Amino acid sequence: MRLDRVDRWLGPCLLVLAIVWLWLVFAFIPGARGEGEPGPRAFPVLLGIVLVLLGGFVTASAFLPSASSTADETGRATRREVLIAAATFGLLMLYAFLLEKLGFLIATPVVVVLAMAGILRMRNWLLVAALAGGLTAACWMFFVWLLKAPLPRGLWLM
Amino acid sequence: MVGLIFGSIPGLTFSMALALMLPFTFGMQTTPALGLLLGVYVGGMTGGSVSAILLGIPGTPSAAATVFDGYPMARKGEASVALGAAVIASTFGGLFSLVVMMLLLEQVAAVAIKFGPAEIFALVLFGLSTICGMAERSMLRGLIAGTLGLMLMIIGLDELDGVARLTFGTVQMQQGVNLLVAMIGLFAVPQIISTFMHYGRIEPFKMPADVRARLPSFRQLKDRLWLMVRCSGIGTGIGAIPGTGGPIAAFLAYDHARRFDRTPENYGKGELSGVVAPESANNAVTGGTMIPLLSLGIPGDPATAVILGGLLVHGLYPGPMLFRTHLELIYALYVSIVLAYVVILVVQLWGIRIFVKVLSVPPHVLAVCIIVLCGLGSYAIRNSIFDVYLMAVMGLFGYILQRVRIPVAPIVLGLVLGETLEKQYRTALIMTEGDYAVFYTSGVALFFFGLTALTIGLQLRSSLRRRPAVE
Repeated sequence: MRLDRVDRWLGPCLLVLAIVWLWLVFAFIPGARGEGEPGPRAFPVLLGIVLVLLGGFVTASAFLPSASSTADETGRATRREVLIAAATFGLLMLYAFLLEKLGFLIATPVVVVLAMAGILRMRNWLLVAALAGGLTAACWMFFVWLLKAPLPRGLWLM
Repeated sequence: MVGLIFGSIPGLTFSMALALMLPFTFGMQTTPALGLLLGVYVGGMTGGSVSAILLGIPGTPSAAATVFDGYPMARKGEASVALGAAVIASTFGGLFSLVVMMLLLEQVAAVAIKFGPAEIFALVLFGLSTICGMAERSMLRGLIAGTLGLMLMIIGLDELDGVARLTFGTVQMQQGVNLLVAMIGLFAVPQIISTFMHYGRIEPFKMPADVRARLPSFRQLKDRLWLMVRCSGIGTGIGAIPGTGGPIAAFLAYDHARRFDRTPENYGKGELSGVVAPESANNAVTGGTMIPLLSLGIPGDPATAVILGGLLVHGLYPGPMLFRTHLELIYALYVSIVLAYVVILVVQLWGIRIFVKVLSVPPHVLAVCIIVLCGLGSYAIRNSIFDVYLMAVMGLFGYILQRVRIPVAPIVLGLVLGETLEKQYRTALIMTEGDYAVFYTSGVALFFFGLTALTIGLQLRSSLRRRPAVE
C-alpha cells in the first residue's frame, strides 16, 4: 500500500484553512436580517463546511490504509525548485513595488535584468541589455503610443 | 495573430493569451473588443496544430490528437500537406459550427428568457458541476479547487446587502478579487516558474527544413469531406456541453475516424485523415461553446470563461436579454468569427514560414517577456498597483496548487459563476420569504438539478473506473 505523501499534509492544511475561514466569517461578516432569508454570511459558512468535508476526506484517504487509492506521482520539491519559485514570486512583488515607486520605464529593465542575470544566471550581457531595452521600448510603444493606455510613471520614492 | 502565436507555442495557452489581451480591450468599442477576443480564441485553437505537426509537441491540449498522424507526416516529408490540410479542416470545422450556432442560439435563448432566480440558480449549479469534468484526474481535487474559487469570489462587497466581506478595512479589497488578475496569476506564473526550472535542461527547438504550408490536392480533400462534416458535428456537440472542450472532441473525432476507416492500421503512421478529423472537431468546438455561453451565460472551458469576463467588462450580460438589447452585437460576433477564420486561413497558408520562427525563440526569453506582460496586464485592468501584487500572490497560489495536483481551471469557474450562483439563490429565497419549495416546484429547476446529478454521477463512475490499482 502506497500512501499519498502530498495528501498527508494537504488534507490537514485544508482543514486548518476551513477552520480559519469559518472563524473569520463568523467574526467579520454579519448574519441575516430577516428570518429564513440567507444573509451575506450564509454562503461563506456553507463553503467553509464544504471545505471541512473535503479536507476531512483527503485526510482520511491519506491516513487510512483502506481508503487510500491514489499513488503519489508528485516528486518532492527540490531546493532549486523552491528557490526558483520563491525568486519568481519575489521578482513579481518587486516589479509591483518598483512600478509604483519608479515607474514603468525604470522598473521594467531592472526586472528583466534581475530575471535573466539573477534567476537564470545568464552572463551574456549583450543579450540581457538588448532584451531589457528592447522589451521596455516595445511595451512602451505598444501600450502608450498604439493603445493609449496609461502606464505607471512612479512616485519617485516619495 | 496573438492567438495563433500563443496557440502554436507549447506551454503557452490561448486562455493565457485571452487573459493578457483582455485589458487591451478596455479602451475599445464593444464590437472591435469582441472581435479581438474571438480572434484570439479562434486563432489559439487553430494554432495548436503548427507545433503538433512540425515538432510533435501540441501547442494546445486540443491539438494533442493531431500529433499522432501529423508528426509522422512531417517526418515523411509531408509537413506542408499536413499543415495545409490542418488549416483547411480547422476553417471548415469552425465555419460549420458557426452555422449551427446561428441556427440554435435564438431557440435556446427564447426558452431561457422564462427563467427566474430558482431556475437560474439550478442552471448555474449545473454549470458548476462541470468542475468534475475539468478536474483532469481527480474529481475530489476538482471540487477542492472549485470551492477555493468560490471562496475567493466571496471577498469584497456583497451585492445584495452592501456588506464588506473579509476586506479587513482595505478599500482595494472591496472590489474583490478581479477575475482577470486571478487568471493571469493562475495561468501564467506557474508556467514561468516551470520554464525557469527547466532552463538549460531541455534542448532548444530545431526548426524543420520544410515549413511551407501547401494545399493538399482537391481529391484528398474531397475524399475526406464527409469525414470533416461528421467530425465537425462531433466537435459542435461536444462544445455545446459545458465542461468538455477541444481535447475531448479531438480525441473522440480521431477515434471515430479510425474506427470507420477502411484502413485503420495506417493511423499513427502518417494518415491524412488522422489530421483532418481532430482539427475539424477541435475547431468546431469554438462555435459549440458559444451556444451555452451566449444563450445561458455558461462558459464551457477556461477560454470561454475569459470571453465571458470580457463580455461582462463591456457591460454585456449573456442570456436571453442579450438578443433583445444587443442583437447587433450578436451579428457582429458572427461576422467576427467568420473574419477570424478567413484571416487565419490566409495567414497560415501564406505566412507559416515566417510565423513558426517564433517557435525558435528560447522559452526562457519568452518567460521573461511574459513576466513584464503579466505586470502590465494586471495593472491595465484597473490602473491599480494593488492588482499587480494580487497577481503575484495568485501566481504563487497557482503554483502551490499545481504542486499538490489541484487543477486551476475549476477555480476560474468558481470565480466566474459563484457570484451569480449566490445572488440567485438568495434572491429566490428573499422573494419567497425563505420558502425552499421554490427550488423543487419548478420543472425547469428540477430538470437542471437532475442534469447536475447525472453529470456528477457519470464523472464519479468514470473517476472510479480510472483509479489505478494500488499495490
